[in-house]
Amino acid sequence: MSILEARGLTKTYHVGSEKVVGVSDATLALEAGSFTVLAGPSGSGKTTLLNLLGVLDQPDSGTLLFEGHDVSGLDERARAQLRREKLGFVFQTYQLVPVLSAEENVALALWIRGLPDAVCAARARSALAAVGLAGLEDRRPDALSGGQRQRVAVARALVGEPVLILADEPTASLDSETAAHLLDLFEEIHRARGVAFLFSSHDPRIVGRAERRIRLQDGRVVADEHTAAGARA
Amino acid sequence: MSRWARLAARNLRRHARRTLLTGSIVVVGFVAVTMTSGFVSQTFSSLKSATIRSTGGHLRLLDPKAAGKTDDEAALLLLDDWQGLAAVVKEDPRVVQAMPKLSFFGLVAKGEKSAPYIGTGTIPALEKNASLASDTVVSGTFLSNPDADEVMLGSGLARALGAKTGDLVTVMATTPDGALNAVDAAVVAVLSYPIKEIDDRLLFLPYTAASRLLKSEGKANTLVVLLKDDADVDAAARDLSRSLEAKGRPVVVKTWLETAAFYKQVKLLYIAIFFFMGLVLSTVVILAAANTMTMSVFERTREIGTLLAIGMERGQIRTVFLLEGVLLGIIGSAVGAAVSFFLRLILNASGIMLPPPPGGTRGNVLHVDFIPLAYGIGFAIMSLTLLIAAWWPARRAARLNPVEALGHV
Repeated sequence: MSILEARGLTKTYHVGSEKVVGVSDATLALEAGSFTVLAGPSGSGKTTLLNLLGVLDQPDSGTLLFEGHDVSGLDERARAQLRREKLGFVFQTYQLVPVLSAEENVALALWIRGLPDAVCAARARSALAAVGLAGLEDRRPDALSGGQRQRVAVARALVGEPVLILADEPTASLDSETAAHLLDLFEEIHRARGVAFLFSSHDPRIVGRAERRIRLQDGRVVADEHTAAGARA
Repeated sequence: MSRWARLAARNLRRHARRTLLTGSIVVVGFVAVTMTSGFVSQTFSSLKSATIRSTGGHLRLLDPKAAGKTDDEAALLLLDDWQGLAAVVKEDPRVVQAMPKLSFFGLVAKGEKSAPYIGTGTIPALEKNASLASDTVVSGTFLSNPDADEVMLGSGLARALGAKTGDLVTVMATTPDGALNAVDAAVVAVLSYPIKEIDDRLLFLPYTAASRLLKSEGKANTLVVLLKDDADVDAAARDLSRSLEAKGRPVVVKTWLETAAFYKQVKLLYIAIFFFMGLVLSTVVILAAANTMTMSVFERTREIGTLLAIGMERGQIRTVFLLEGVLLGIIGSAVGAAVSFFLRLILNASGIMLPPPPGGTRGNVLHVDFIPLAYGIGFAIMSLTLLIAAWWPARRAARLNPVEALGHV
């Protein structure tokens, strides 16, 4: 069953007087529990498509279905609710709130749902333990390594029990060893919890481990292939 | 503390230098509000005291026909048997004294020189006890003998006559019947009244001499009542009016405030000045705080983008920034209250002398009153001011596009 289906998504930007095509006529469907990468060189439209699929941005044309419902015309508030309740996000530069501890950064994803503090804290600690950060709950981001920060970001994406986690170049700021450990973590979560992952990356390590590769060039989907990793899964 | 208030507080602490800078502005604003209020309160209090003392008392008892008449018209009416009236008034335990006053005008002459005057006939001992005049003696001694033909002159009037203490002057006036009358009186004191126009015409005679001059023995234009406590004015006015009417001596009772046009004008002027100052101060605080908070939003654009991306409502983003403003207002006010409190103690202990209030004759030692209401108002103004200052940056933060915010460099 598709959790996400894009039909002819197009997004253009204006840079000065010039019109730049970010994504053109992108059509794809993501299955529940899939492990997919949007691959392509810089400027190919990976992040733009990821933003559209993550309902962070609205397409100029085309339709986006989430769990069978058309979400392309949702208003601001409904899109925020969808992101809050169904999606998780991991960014290249971790994007943690510097004044909050690791636990609070993770709990933040639940605070915004209005859950009680005790519930938020308990679930945040559990999510941190799941990403291997038990014992570091009270540390602020500046007291954590890059890999640990990204794990906190993963825990924040995970704590709301999303059906899909979108990760934009999640390994780009990490060294090889840390990146490898992070990818192990993504795979573990994917297998253990059945959460679907959609990466945007040109990191060959991610591209190599993905079950499905969607290649983009100049804003267009030029290839969509299931990999050997996918066949093994 | 709510989670958003906690987040706002930590953001303030994180940007300690900026918080300190904006907080200092709030502290200065708060201190300005409370100290100015304390100082103005003291000024009003001095002005009130000077105004009451300028007429010699808190209440003026007038002839019943004065009701509804202007002060000038009422001044022409005379109360009969002021002594009987005063005896009744003094039965009230709140009353210190009741002093008759005769008001008159005419010419005063010394040798070949003469000048117009505005005169007051009064009981010397009571006048000395109650009014400002005793503070203004620059030469000679205040009237003391109620039965002597003695006079005190304003320094401007004395100059016009070329008179000095010990000289004999002739005080001329018209009696209520229209006849011209005169008394010769020795100058016992020259007074320097702070308002020149009054100083140039000022003349005091003992009541006995004045009533003889006006052929109005036993009568007075007004009976001025001095109370022990300023707070009793309204109640005493009401009670005296009732009790005198009950005893068959109806009078019109006017409080000092009803006849204090100058006091009211000065008070209004001061209030207008301090309101304007407050407005300028608030504007400065708003601009400074808004600038700081706008910088904060700019620096935290990516963070805001992240919060929006994970599904935070725009209203929640706005709340966090507004809370930062209000918290800064509250913390700044708390520090400002402590600074005000100690600064007030230091200033009050300094013994600095201030010039006399408008219309007053004596300067006062600087004393900044403690006005709890001013602290409350300062707190409300600063919190509200910071809320207003935070409004625009908070709105801007809440309206950011998440994709653009995440891409902000």
